[in-house]
Amino acid sequence: MTDQELFTQVGIREEKASAAAVKSKRSLPIFSIAVLVLIILGCLLADVIATKDPAYLDLMNYTKAPNGEFLFGTDTLGRDIFSCIWHGGRVSLFIGFFATLISTTIAVVYGSISGISSDWVDTAMMRVTEIFLSVPGLLVILFIQAILGDATVVSLSVVIGITSWYSIAKVIRTEVRQIRKSEYVIASQCMGGSFLHVLWHHLAPNFISAIMFMVVMNVRSAIASESTLSFMGMGLPLDVISWGSMLSLSERALMTKAWWIILIPGFFLVVLLVCLTNIGNWLRQTANRKESNL
Amino acid sequence: MDNAIVTVKNLTHRFRLSKKTVIKAVDDISFTIQKGEIFGLVGESGSGKSTVARCIMNIYQPTAGEILFHDVNTCDKTAFRQNRKLLQTARQLIFQDSASSLNQRMKVADIIAEPMKINHITPPRGSYREEAAFQLRYVGMDENYLDKYPSEMSGGQRQRVAIARALSMEPELLVADEPIASLDVSIQAQIVNLFKHLQKEHGFSILFIAHDLAMVEYLCDRIGVMYRGKLVELAETAELFAHPLHPYTQMLLSAIPYPDPIRERNRPRMNTEDMIFDTEGTFREIRPNHFVLTKEAAL
Repeated sequence: MTDQELFTQVGIREEKASAAAVKSKRSLPIFSIAVLVLIILGCLLADVIATKDPAYLDLMNYTKAPNGEFLFGTDTLGRDIFSCIWHGGRVSLFIGFFATLISTTIAVVYGSISGISSDWVDTAMMRVTEIFLSVPGLLVILFIQAILGDATVVSLSVVIGITSWYSIAKVIRTEVRQIRKSEYVIASQCMGGSFLHVLWHHLAPNFISAIMFMVVMNVRSAIASESTLSFMGMGLPLDVISWGSMLSLSERALMTKAWWIILIPGFFLVVLLVCLTNIGNWLRQTANRKESNL
Repeated sequence: MDNAIVTVKNLTHRFRLSKKTVIKAVDDISFTIQKGEIFGLVGESGSGKSTVARCIMNIYQPTAGEILFHDVNTCDKTAFRQNRKLLQTARQLIFQDSASSLNQRMKVADIIAEPMKINHITPPRGSYREEAAFQLRYVGMDENYLDKYPSEMSGGQRQRVAIARALSMEPELLVADEPIASLDVSIQAQIVNLFKHLQKEHGFSILFIAHDLAMVEYLCDRIGVMYRGKLVELAETAELFAHPLHPYTQMLLSAIPYPDPIRERNRPRMNTEDMIFDTEGTFREIRPNHFVLTKEAAL
């Protein structure tokens, strides 16, 4: 035997990731972003694209299959689904973003206070979020919505917003807890920095990448919650057009074998949710990679 | 003494670890820092030096005793609130680890301007950026560093930025908590010389905490030696190095290496590990302006 055979070098073996894996990790989810932008643009330009009044009940043409005049057909009330998609998308997107704005704001304030205050206040605040977390979200939404009375777009956003901040608050609290004793926070407090100053200049830049993924996912779940509620008939009323309230007609549609009434809004909803999930996943991977690079 | 800027009286601070264990980090110590003086605080790790600094800066609330800054009792919450502005601008703190005392996500210009922005001080040199550039030049750095992040600079440069941030408020008292301990020797010399230069120009007082006696001898006017939470000896630098009276101080001084190999090899060496010194007794003035913690009236 030669020396070469007796002696093999042991070390860190280089593991080469397959080209596809590298690509899927690094590259922007261009397709998802493009589709999302298209949908958002379509909703913003709804008045230009969809010339028909979405609320007009065309009783002569109800439950018509897609054709030249009604691109996506009409529903059981005679409304043009093509117009409804773009106008209703506005409502769905608005609820998604507005609810997320509310929940993120609550989460940032609550999580930061919990993270920065003394041990037992922190424990108490976190137990409270755990109690809320243990109750099924849909149940709480229904309960609060029942107290508020008839659902409107804004009230529904508020209800979804104030019931979906717990997990973001927990992540923020953990991040804040890690950096609140770091010397630059102490230094800032010594110089007289108020809670808001420390929060804005020192804490927020450090936890923003950690919650970015959750915020995008929150938009997604807010849109999904609205659709679920409207589908069950407990969300927006039929005359407020959103993708959820369009789906709530599905019961009757299925009996009349009018597939387009349920499939078309459903398709748009699923595509939007998949795009948001994709973008959220990409954000999470970038954030994780940045942290491992530190 | 009339000229005192900080008076520490019977300061005690305990840390409660659990219901049963309480650690006395600082135990009944008293000293004053004069105006325009560099006061050194030395002692081994865990002897309570940093706790004293943090009590003076109001980061910790002392368990007992009081700290007067000018005539304001900083431990009293109402007095602190009434003089908040003065206390927050006139006292500044520099930390040991410059990497963690600067926010990694802020640029140098923003870091230096932060205390001015917090206290709504109109920058005397026009803009915040101009002011930051001025302070940066003052600590010996080029203004090209203004747009750098802390991670792009060396430890010595970061420490200079931390010093510039403290100086931007033109403080009367600078509390430097081991500002040179994490730097290599050549940078230590730069920073110590910077302190000396700044102190001459500004005339502020410095509480300088270190465990390197050679640096303290070079920089400080008066030195306090701490051991297990007690102040065991307090004297002017020359006096302390000429006549160390407390056995712990003697041991510390014997540990300074001399840059002379023959003298260094022949020197009697003390075994530092098994030594436990007495921390009982009272603080007495044995020689003029030379205080020692001792049981006997005369040493």
